[in-house]
Amino acid sequence: MIAPPLKYAYYPGCVARGACRELYTSTALITAALGIELVELKSASCCGAGTLKEDSQRLQDAVNARNIALAEEQGLTMLTQCSTCQGVLGAVNDKLRAERGSAYRDEINALLARGGHHYDGSVDVRHLLWILLADVGLDNLRARVRRPLTGLRCGSFYGCYLLRAQAHRRVDDAFNPQSLEKLFEALGATPVYFEGRTKCCGFPLSSYDAPTSFSMAAVRLQDAIDCGADCLVTPCPLCHLNLDARQPEVERQVGRKLGLPVLHLSQLVGLALGLSPEQLGLGRHIVSTRPVLERLGL
Amino acid sequence: MEITIRIRRQAESGSPDYKSYALDVDPGTTVLDALMRIKGEIDGTLAFRKNCRNAICGSCAMRINGRSALACASRIRDVADARGEILIQPMGNMPVIKDLVVDMTSFWKHLDQVDPYVSTAARRTPEKEFLQTPEQRAAVEQAGNCILCGACYSECNSREVNPNFVGPHALAKAQRVMADNRDDQTAQRHALYNQPEFAWGCTRCFYCNEVCPMGVQPLDQIQKIRHELLTDKATEPNTAMRHRRVMVRQIKESGWLDEARFALQVVGRDFKGLWSLVPLGVRMAAKGKMPLRHRPIENCAQVRDLVEAIQKEDTKS
Repeated sequence: MIAPPLKYAYYPGCVARGACRELYTSTALITAALGIELVELKSASCCGAGTLKEDSQRLQDAVNARNIALAEEQGLTMLTQCSTCQGVLGAVNDKLRAERGSAYRDEINALLARGGHHYDGSVDVRHLLWILLADVGLDNLRARVRRPLTGLRCGSFYGCYLLRAQAHRRVDDAFNPQSLEKLFEALGATPVYFEGRTKCCGFPLSSYDAPTSFSMAAVRLQDAIDCGADCLVTPCPLCHLNLDARQPEVERQVGRKLGLPVLHLSQLVGLALGLSPEQLGLGRHIVSTRPVLERLGL
Repeated sequence: MEITIRIRRQAESGSPDYKSYALDVDPGTTVLDALMRIKGEIDGTLAFRKNCRNAICGSCAMRINGRSALACASRIRDVADARGEILIQPMGNMPVIKDLVVDMTSFWKHLDQVDPYVSTAARRTPEKEFLQTPEQRAAVEQAGNCILCGACYSECNSREVNPNFVGPHALAKAQRVMADNRDDQTAQRHALYNQPEFAWGCTRCFYCNEVCPMGVQPLDQIQKIRHELLTDKATEPNTAMRHRRVMVRQIKESGWLDEARFALQVVGRDFKGLWSLVPLGVRMAAKGKMPLRHRPIENCAQVRDLVEAIQKEDTKS
């Protein structure tokens, strides 16, 4: 089966261009391999990760209306690759669409007009995970697998904003999501179900209450290990930062060696498509991804 | 319809066990009515809380298929799976007394910690009652709808790991009294809520919003409290507030976050904070993950102008 031409306005997010460049590279590689064209929104700003509204609701809405307007100018659906960006941008889009014709939306548009933009609610904001399932399709993905991930036991880690930040237009059940598990199976891997897969990684607290943040990460990591996961796979680079980059501190806090690799969604897809671990930046993780590669005979 | 209700049973000091009960019910029956039939007709030892049967008293919150909800507001047809099975467990984050009855001591203690009453001084009413305009009443409407059922507290991810965090129910109530025009304790409340165990303890997991049966949306109320703290010039600054301010500043400066500088400006402001970042910095640098080259987004001036225009308007209003 050949997919129709797929083209999206690409919102990479801050972390994929900063501390998790391997996500940026992997997404570029897998989308190219799947025949997806990405038009990167180079003048898009940070979405604020859900905290801008604490400063000012109007600030969160206007900054993100501008980001969405950039995709509208391309006439393309916006593709995100971070659960938090998706939740924030998606919720702003849902809200402003419902505000059609309201004074508030006019007020936001008057602000955007200063930069020559206009929000009209004409495009969707969708995470790469949802696009892989709905637009590329699991059958299509399955047909393109060059290296089946047989024997790899993957625990999903969805990210709160992907599951619960948008009250409408949801893809997954907030308590029992299946998108990642379906994807694992299509790639030949085995899903591992554990309680923490839908919960918080602790990242939002990490800058000012590290002990609580690490306790939260510890519960999730230990839960996944105890349920038999070889690795976690996440569509959220913020979860990745807390679960991978801070894992040594988490280990110290709980006094247990964890060593659980955490893969970005794009890296897992890339492995199944036959891309090399070097291309996918699997050597750039804080927790060694060696156990994953060994499981796959690499 | 034929259903099987699987219930987590637990004696006071015993280990938990699951017991299944088969019933023939109308699909429109509530989970609470089904539990009352089990207790009345099959097993009188089953313990659960109930009272009004009308989603008013908040007594019958429990986990239904892993999700905290009111048993009286959940209909069998909406919660039974294709095989007619329903899983019932006690609420989380609180110890079990027996079966579905949990010890809510910490829940009430945490509520009390936010001083959840319109201030006493303001309630001195020598001649007649206080009148509120419809607008003043509307400001407390949403959070005022809380029935203290415990569903949000049961699912709270912060409370799960931090027993000192007061929880979403208490903070929703805090917002409700803060927004009340009759309350005259604003400064004291700001000082109290501006602590890691209060407004800043929430990790924004959205579970409270997800399960609240009354539309209180506790996370939204918590973020309103944070907004009040951030906009009150008298609030004692802390790292959580600095996190928000640096984020807005960086969006103005370059359009997106400069993570290394962000960490230094938020956490590394004093020796202890800086020292705590050293191992992370070394580790990130060793793996080539230290983001060193940070260039502004294209048309960055446009974002700066937008943020400044909003800040100017917000200051005016």
